[in-house]
Amino acid sequence: MGSMFRGEEVALVQLFLPTAAAYTCVSQLGELGLVEFRDLNASVSAFQRRFVVDVRRCEELEKTFTFLQEEVRRAGLALPPPEGRLPAPPPRDLLRIQEETDRLALELRDVRGNQQELRAQLYQLQLHEAVLGQSHGPPLAAAHTDGPSSERSPLLPPPGGPHQDLKVNFVAGAVEPHKAAALERLLWRACRGFLIASFQEMEQQLQDPVTGEPTRWMTFLISYWGEQIGQKIRKITACFHCHVFPFLEQEGARQGALQQLQQQSQELQEVLGETERFLSQVLGRVQQLLPAGQLQIRKMKAVYLALNQCSVSSTHKCLIAEVWCAVRDLPTLQQVLQASSSEVGVSAVAHRIPCQDMPPTLIRTNRFTASFQGIVDAYGVGRYQEVNPAPYTIITFPFLFAVMFGDVGHGLLMFLFALAMVLAENQPAMKAMQNEIWQTFFGGRYLLLLMGLFSVYTGFIYNECFSRATTIFPSGWSVAAMANQSGWSDAYLAQHPVLDLDPNVSGVFLGPYPFGIDPVWSLATNHLRFLNSFKMKMSVILGVVHMAFGVVLGVFNHMHFGQSHRLLLETLPELVFLLGLFGYLVFLVVYKWLCFTAVDSATAPSILIHFINMFLFSRSPTNRPLYSGQEVVQYVLVVLALATVPVLLLGTPLYLLRQQRRRQRRPAGGQNEDKAKLIDSPDASESDWGPDEEKAGCSEDDKDAELVPSEIFMHQAIHTIEFCLGCISNTASYLRLWALSLAHAQLSEVLWAMVMRVALNSDLAVGVQAVLLVPIFAAFAVMTVAILLVMEGLSAFLHALRLHWVEFQNKFYSGNGYKLSPFTFAVEDE
Amino acid sequence: MRMLSDPCATGTCTAAPASLTCIPLGIPASAMTAHSFALPVIVFTTFWGLIGIAGPWFVPKGPNRGVIITMLVATAVCCYLFWLIAILAQLNPLFGPQLKNETIWYVRFLWE
Repeated sequence: MGSMFRGEEVALVQLFLPTAAAYTCVSQLGELGLVEFRDLNASVSAFQRRFVVDVRRCEELEKTFTFLQEEVRRAGLALPPPEGRLPAPPPRDLLRIQEETDRLALELRDVRGNQQELRAQLYQLQLHEAVLGQSHGPPLAAAHTDGPSSERSPLLPPPGGPHQDLKVNFVAGAVEPHKAAALERLLWRACRGFLIASFQEMEQQLQDPVTGEPTRWMTFLISYWGEQIGQKIRKITACFHCHVFPFLEQEGARQGALQQLQQQSQELQEVLGETERFLSQVLGRVQQLLPAGQLQIRKMKAVYLALNQCSVSSTHKCLIAEVWCAVRDLPTLQQVLQASSSEVGVSAVAHRIPCQDMPPTLIRTNRFTASFQGIVDAYGVGRYQEVNPAPYTIITFPFLFAVMFGDVGHGLLMFLFALAMVLAENQPAMKAMQNEIWQTFFGGRYLLLLMGLFSVYTGFIYNECFSRATTIFPSGWSVAAMANQSGWSDAYLAQHPVLDLDPNVSGVFLGPYPFGIDPVWSLATNHLRFLNSFKMKMSVILGVVHMAFGVVLGVFNHMHFGQSHRLLLETLPELVFLLGLFGYLVFLVVYKWLCFTAVDSATAPSILIHFINMFLFSRSPTNRPLYSGQEVVQYVLVVLALATVPVLLLGTPLYLLRQQRRRQRRPAGGQNEDKAKLIDSPDASESDWGPDEEKAGCSEDDKDAELVPSEIFMHQAIHTIEFCLGCISNTASYLRLWALSLAHAQLSEVLWAMVMRVALNSDLAVGVQAVLLVPIFAAFAVMTVAILLVMEGLSAFLHALRLHWVEFQNKFYSGNGYKLSPFTFAVEDE
Repeated sequence: MRMLSDPCATGTCTAAPASLTCIPLGIPASAMTAHSFALPVIVFTTFWGLIGIAGPWFVPKGPNRGVIITMLVATAVCCYLFWLIAILAQLNPLFGPQLKNETIWYVRFLWE
């Protein structure tokens, strides 16, 4: 049978790698992804390991790569994915790659720096041009008047000073737009009356070289007189970080300056263009080099990190590594090592060593079984070689989901959605979608497929298709017969709004509906009374069956681990307890279904009362027995179940203690032979590696470790209490199957009654009704998908998962193992 | 649907039926739309039995043989059990559906 039933056999293998070939061997192992390295230098810090220098160099290279990558991204280019098979490069290539990368990085930095400088210069020139080019009316006009005139005499007589310089001077510059108002205010307050300032917005936007944002600067022209005012103005403009440019008074000189500026900026733009062309060339080279380089260096670093986990042999001729490897892959491992170390002369060797630690669990899955194994592993990865619940979960999980979700229409929608995803799974567009929610649905497409399929089946059994029942077969209830025999005239019917069909009347009940629930119940006002009883009993039956299956699976565990005493001391009492009490309940349910008819309906016994009385050893006089001898049978069953509790509690611990005492009395001679047998016969060439072998392997705990009695008893007591109380609570927990299917059915019913029926029952003309139906159907469809498919689907998924994780798995699964995570270069995409 | 050998047919005795002779044997009633019990049981037991018991023999050898056999058997068991519960629950109804008078008017002549 396939290896999904329990994990594969995993062995601890010791590798002897000759120093010269160690790198190649490990790199080949990484390509294959077969083995998991154990860290032999766990006590050594990361800085003291052997290959720390190489790891550092790789990391520095990675930093340079990151810088280059960032530059490429900033330029808006994309890095192509690496093509072809790129193995980890040999150590001597590291220097070459490092040189190339550093050169590229240096060039890139230089060119970038130049580009920034040129841009800044251009920016300044453009500002200057703009300032000179702007026409500021009044101050210029005022400048043309010669000398001070009476109009321009200051309001206050100027303070008598030695030298009245009334020559008008100009300060021209540019200021950021949001500072312009503040600047104007401050200038006016500080130099009131002694200046005229004119602010104007530039016509074109300039792109800021640093941030890249287009801004519109305000150019200003201040005309002032007086040297001190001039100094004040310059200080203020310096404060506001304005760019101030020399402003020549003469128009002609200004034009000349403008022309010169224009020429300069043109030249600068040419140089800038050249620089940018060179930059894109460099970026092109980076694009070529980077993907392959990144991959190679990543692999190299991984190889060195793996090598750091190996220990050095005493002769310093080889490295010793301990790896976990699946037994099935051992021949491949030997082959790979031989091939990698053939050129060195001395071959690398691998051989099994015994180990007391628990090996990791390895279960191989394909894309169908992977999602089911995933949901089992999400709770806990199985212990080494314990029974794996996943192959049963493939069917029972969608089935329990479907019990809670049962509706043909909804199931069909879910199935079609999943089918679309499955049929298109190989298209690259599917894998390229980055949306996490979509990835979740896509990863579980096989899960959804089965869930939808089973939901269609349970929908047929519940006889619900978008909450409507179908009459595939004719109903088993005849209303006509009831009406005829009870004399239901039209007048009688008019007086009674609801009437019961009595199965005692002949011809009314014609037999059970052959496939599912009779469609008459969907027309009945008391349908919940029937359905609740049916679904509750169904939940209990399914629950007891599921749990009993879980206990039976534990048998395989006990047999595999050679603990056959547990079969008698644990599995048998557990089964007796579970089936004696709850199996008996199932029996009562089925018995009542088979043997009590409508004739006895007035006096039909209540199973619940019987069950309660069974535990209390009492009786209710009004509740008649289901069969003769019921009391005796129940009494025996309860006593038997109670008797299993001490067996469960004390059986295994006493047995283990007795075994231990017997072993201690036996002479301790036979132990060493066992260890020798576990080591495979080594090759002759290995004789050099003698002393290292003895140091290998895990910590040598004695196989007969001291069993602490109190611990065993405690552990067993917890297990017993958990099982016995769990039986009751877990059985009740399965009632959620009833609860959720009821909720789904009711939601479905409400949606139909409140939405679709409104459109279908409206008393409008046919044409109008048809038009009305369109938006109402749209609302119905949207709410069906959002509430019933997504919300109820998630809810039923969650509860089915809980039933598996807790109620089913705690009967046999311990789930405290760890996965084999092989040393591999493949990056996890999922 | 008639009981075969039911001593409590009159509904007056309070003792429980002595044995499991109460399982009706699917004798078709005279009405046209009567449902037998034996026929669906035979049909579905055979159907799921073919899938769950005979199916595993026809699964081709390969690495997934074990998983496919498990799936077939589990499907057969689950689906058969579910159908069986549904039909057993309706075999001997203790009470009938309660219908609105509008429904009775309509269905009386529709489901003849």
